[in-house]
Amino acid sequence: MTIDSTTLTQVPVTLERARVLRIPRSPKVIAGLVILGVFSVVAIIGRWITPYSPNATDTQNWVQHVLVPGTGGDSGFPASYYPLPLGPSAAHWLGTTVFAQDAWSQLLASTQATMFVGLLAAAIATVLSIIFGVTAGYIGGATDEGLSLVANVSLAIPGLPLLIVLADYVPSAGSSLVLVAAIIAVTTWAYTARTLRAQTLSLRNRDFVEASRVSGEGPLRIIGVEILPNLIPIVAASFLFTSLTAIYAYVAISFLGLAGSPTGSPPGLWNWGEMLREGFANNAVRGGWWWWWAPPGICVALLGTGLALVNFGIDEFINPRLRTSGLTARAARKAGAHVSTTLGLTPVMRGAATVPNTTPSTADAVLEIRGLSVDYGYGDQAVHAVRDCDLVLRRGRVLGLAGESGSGKTTLALAAIRLLRAPAVITEGQVLFHSKPFTRDNPKETIDMLAAGPHRLREIRWSEIAVVLQSSLNALNPVTTIGAQFDDLLRAHRPRMSRDERYTRGVELLDMVGMNGDRLRSYPHELSGGMRQRAMIAMALALEPQVMVLDEPTTALDVVTQREILEELMGLRDRLGFAALFITHDLSLLVEFADDIAVMYAGRLMERAPANSLFRAPRLPYTHGLLHCFPPMHGKRVPMAGIPGSPPDLRDLPSGCAFHPRCKWALDQCKHDVPVLGSIPGPNREVACWLHRNGATPPAELSLAEPGDVMRERLSQVNIQ
Amino acid sequence: MTTAPVLEGRNLTKYFWVKQGRGLLARKSPVHAVDNVSVSLDARKVTAFVGESGAGKTTVARILAEITKPDKGTVLLDGKPVQAGRPRSYAKQVQMVFQDPFASLNPVHRVRHDLERPLKIHHLVNGNTDKAVDDLLERVALKPPRQFADKFPHELSGGQRQRVAIARALAVKPRVLIADEPVSMLDVSIRLGVLNLLADLRDREKLAILYITHDIASARYLADTIVVMYAGQLVEAAPSVELTDRPAHPYTQLLLSAAPDPDRAQPPVLAGIGAPPSLLAPPTGCRFHPRCPHVMEVCRHKAPPSIAVSPDHIAACWLHVDPAERQASENGVLATGPLEPEKSKR
Ligand SMILES: Nc1ncnc2c1ncn2[C@@H]1O[C@H](COP(=O)(O)OP(=O)(O)OP(=O)(O)O)[C@@H](O)[C@H]1O
Ligand SMILES: Nc1ncnc2c1ncn2[C@@H]1O[C@H](COP(=O)(O)OP(=O)(O)O)[C@@H](O)[C@H]1O
Ligand code: SF4
Ligand code: SF4
Ligand SMILES: [Mg+2]
Ligand SMILES: [Mg+2]
Repeated sequence: MTIDSTTLTQVPVTLERARVLRIPRSPKVIAGLVILGVFSVVAIIGRWITPYSPNATDTQNWVQHVLVPGTGGDSGFPASYYPLPLGPSAAHWLGTTVFAQDAWSQLLASTQATMFVGLLAAAIATVLSIIFGVTAGYIGGATDEGLSLVANVSLAIPGLPLLIVLADYVPSAGSSLVLVAAIIAVTTWAYTARTLRAQTLSLRNRDFVEASRVSGEGPLRIIGVEILPNLIPIVAASFLFTSLTAIYAYVAISFLGLAGSPTGSPPGLWNWGEMLREGFANNAVRGGWWWWWAPPGICVALLGTGLALVNFGIDEFINPRLRTSGLTARAARKAGAHVSTTLGLTPVMRGAATVPNTTPSTADAVLEIRGLSVDYGYGDQAVHAVRDCDLVLRRGRVLGLAGESGSGKTTLALAAIRLLRAPAVITEGQVLFHSKPFTRDNPKETIDMLAAGPHRLREIRWSEIAVVLQSSLNALNPVTTIGAQFDDLLRAHRPRMSRDERYTRGVELLDMVGMNGDRLRSYPHELSGGMRQRAMIAMALALEPQVMVLDEPTTALDVVTQREILEELMGLRDRLGFAALFITHDLSLLVEFADDIAVMYAGRLMERAPANSLFRAPRLPYTHGLLHCFPPMHGKRVPMAGIPGSPPDLRDLPSGCAFHPRCKWALDQCKHDVPVLGSIPGPNREVACWLHRNGATPPAELSLAEPGDVMRERLSQVNIQ
Repeated sequence: MTTAPVLEGRNLTKYFWVKQGRGLLARKSPVHAVDNVSVSLDARKVTAFVGESGAGKTTVARILAEITKPDKGTVLLDGKPVQAGRPRSYAKQVQMVFQDPFASLNPVHRVRHDLERPLKIHHLVNGNTDKAVDDLLERVALKPPRQFADKFPHELSGGQRQRVAIARALAVKPRVLIADEPVSMLDVSIRLGVLNLLADLRDREKLAILYITHDIASARYLADTIVVMYAGQLVEAAPSVELTDRPAHPYTQLLLSAAPDPDRAQPPVLAGIGAPPSLLAPPTGCRFHPRCPHVMEVCRHKAPPSIAVSPDHIAACWLHVDPAERQASENGVLATGPLEPEKSKR
């Protein structure tokens, strides 16, 4: 439980102020806001701009049409005369109804009542849900149970049927907007209250709430000032949703004729549902008088769409992942990236993969990364998370990748095996996998990882390149046993194995990571964090991969378990001969466990050396600083300074060497020129620092003697095939 | 050495009741999160609590900060029991810094708000709040303060946020600061900055600090006294260098051998591998006995007493009990209940 790794999928649950206040600029939301704006204006001024009174009969233009001529007979009463609505004309833009009333005027007048019901119901429901939800969530205990009961009961009341019965029973009920709104609100508030309660419950135990409690703040201010602002997006979303529900409900009861007719007694109000009802009751559809029934229908649909679009925008706020996935596909196409929708397949920018030179740079290279650059996002918004990185993983060796949080370690490793999802995109570079499988049936070959298709990558992943992530503590399927998960994996990749062989292999694998074979019957939740991580490692080893990518595999575990697991892993490496890319922020751990170490800073590799050389004789100021960040376990206690300043923001990198603002030996040149990785004297040493270029003399701290032959040679036992 | 402790917790015990099983068969059983832990904090001293995740460190901290009510035991401020319900006067004396600086500042408020509120609640300023806020920011080395006061948390780095959190705790001029893993979420390169700040506050403002961590090396660097916790109990307490150089309890020895240490010549031998026990049914006797390489018969059924291994150095382990006495106790002749380690220390 040390540094919280910025796992690629993690998003903060609470909102940042900037996001709450800024209006989203997505076209959907803008369209929604425009629609709502137009309707609101009409709702306010609609009454006064109607060309006619909605109830007025235009007798002058009322065309009487003989439907059944001759049947009038001598009764003297034109019974068979049927009034005919007028089509749209200059006088009546949307024509008239069968009663010779102006449809356009009715439409304008209807907007107000419809929207009023929506807003009022939403307002009542919101107030109720905030009071109940936040109180229940904040106080908890018996209050919570009581209020939750009330909420559940009101959820059980069927809203629309209740409204219908009530309106039928008390005719005036339907025509009272306030009553209709209140009934709708009472039957819908509980949905929101439940969400708010759950959110409050989680916010209540948030450290910032606890902190203000510790500082002596009273409960009302905590609720009002600390908690409520964080609930705004949910409240807004449910406000819109409730308005929508209320509008539909009101339209529905009016359509059923329960909201009172505007011309009846007691008089109802004009609304779209009423227009629809009159239209349908008078054969508007059969008569083909579309101008009568279509416009109110369209209005209902449009208003609904507007509310839904705005709601969608709010959802994007609450859940930033929606935002990125929605926006980027188009941006990616524009930027020329080929974005595959296949899950877990990092897109590659067109033209990034030039014809690779596929000869391994060293005989024992297994995974070779050359000049890899990875961005998050496209165009101007791109964050350059990894830039121009070269890394060679050699057979049977452990390569440590160290660096601060956000320096790009995970991005580099996962992009190389194409496991990152969009908006990550590989903009440049080559990744070669020189495969020499341990299982005999597969051929030796070199695979260009950036050109390989999804099918090919799926074949390689897990069976040849396995990954253990920090978050894999949760990566096991919670509903099946460990054994079943081993079984599925082996059945998929080793179809020729029998059930018994698979079981034996499962026991063998658990045994390898120091777990009892009985554990195959356990569900993940029955295992401790350390055992789950062991089980994950066992699964990663199941298919005898050539490469293991270990991204902070033990960071969440305690030191004893961490050391046990790592020692087991290193033992397995010696026995099985896989190569490991071991990512961690803990340089002191790497010095003990890795053969070689690469240090990353702000997306670039800055130093590469055998572990012992790097520890005894660092050449890069940043490495030197990092090594002096770990207080020693022995000797006298002396004050240590750490590295001044803080890690850079990738969006706003310092010019030249990104480390220069924190570097105590920075030269003038460092402010302008980016140093690139280059060889320096010593065993396989490379550093990207101007202090070691052009005859500059590095300070004494950075020119300590190489440790020489004390270097551990763990490798001697590994047989390289 | 004779000054009375500022804040003291005596025989603190806390069980959390959790549901076991599903549906109708569900019953509640207690998680023995903290069992009979006593701790005292002195002015101008940093006391470190070290232990792995789940050892009960946070629970002790929250009990001392009066956020959690203990099932048993008392919290004493200046020797007087604290009234229940966290009175404001208590908030003014005892403050806490939380582990995650990304969660402990409200994302919707500016830094200014976080620092002003405690000042206003406790009526510590009349008139110029801005000045007081600037002073606070300067005390935690956020300079220039004007620039930081109007920022939102997301505009600050982790280290800066943690400094703001510390500044908020300092606003009321407390006498005790409880810091629950204040650096574990921070980048390695900025941890020392925060640790040095805490050391500085101890010296300059005479704060009594409880520093909670799982990183024994940082405890050795910062603290005057280290207390080691295992499975909800105290197992060892000593001045920090003494404890790390001459650990007396087998668990402390294990912890030290497992800690990353690049200076080590050979891989260490881990004595007592395995994982901490379930706190739902902690082992009888010494809770470490299933893993202990030195386990004896008496360890299995009798909790070890706290023994002063040397002045100021306490270990709760049968190994340090005189064999005759151990034998006697095993036969049930001598009832040596667990002493209060902190008491016998002074
Ligand atoms: N989905 C994403 N969208 C935008 N930026 C991202 C995304 N994922 C990661 N980043 C950024 O890319 C950079 C590198 O992230 P990466 O996860 O590779 O860091 P890391 O070195 O593994 O850090 P840690 O030690 O915290 O795991 C960071 O600045 C991060 O904020
Ligand atoms: N609110 C809670 N409900 C149930 N169990 C808890 C709760 N808080 C802590 N625990 C349990 O108490 C034990 C000690 O936890 P904690 O004090 O957080 O340990 P640490 O801070 O040392 O990691 C753990 O087993 C933990 O799961
Ligand atoms: S290039 Fe310059 S600024 Fe960068 S690490 Fe080297 S000396 Fe420091
Ligand atoms: S009391 Fe016994 S089991 Fe416990 S640590 Fe000491 S020797 Fe080991
Ligand atoms: Mg990472
Ligand atoms: Mg904790």
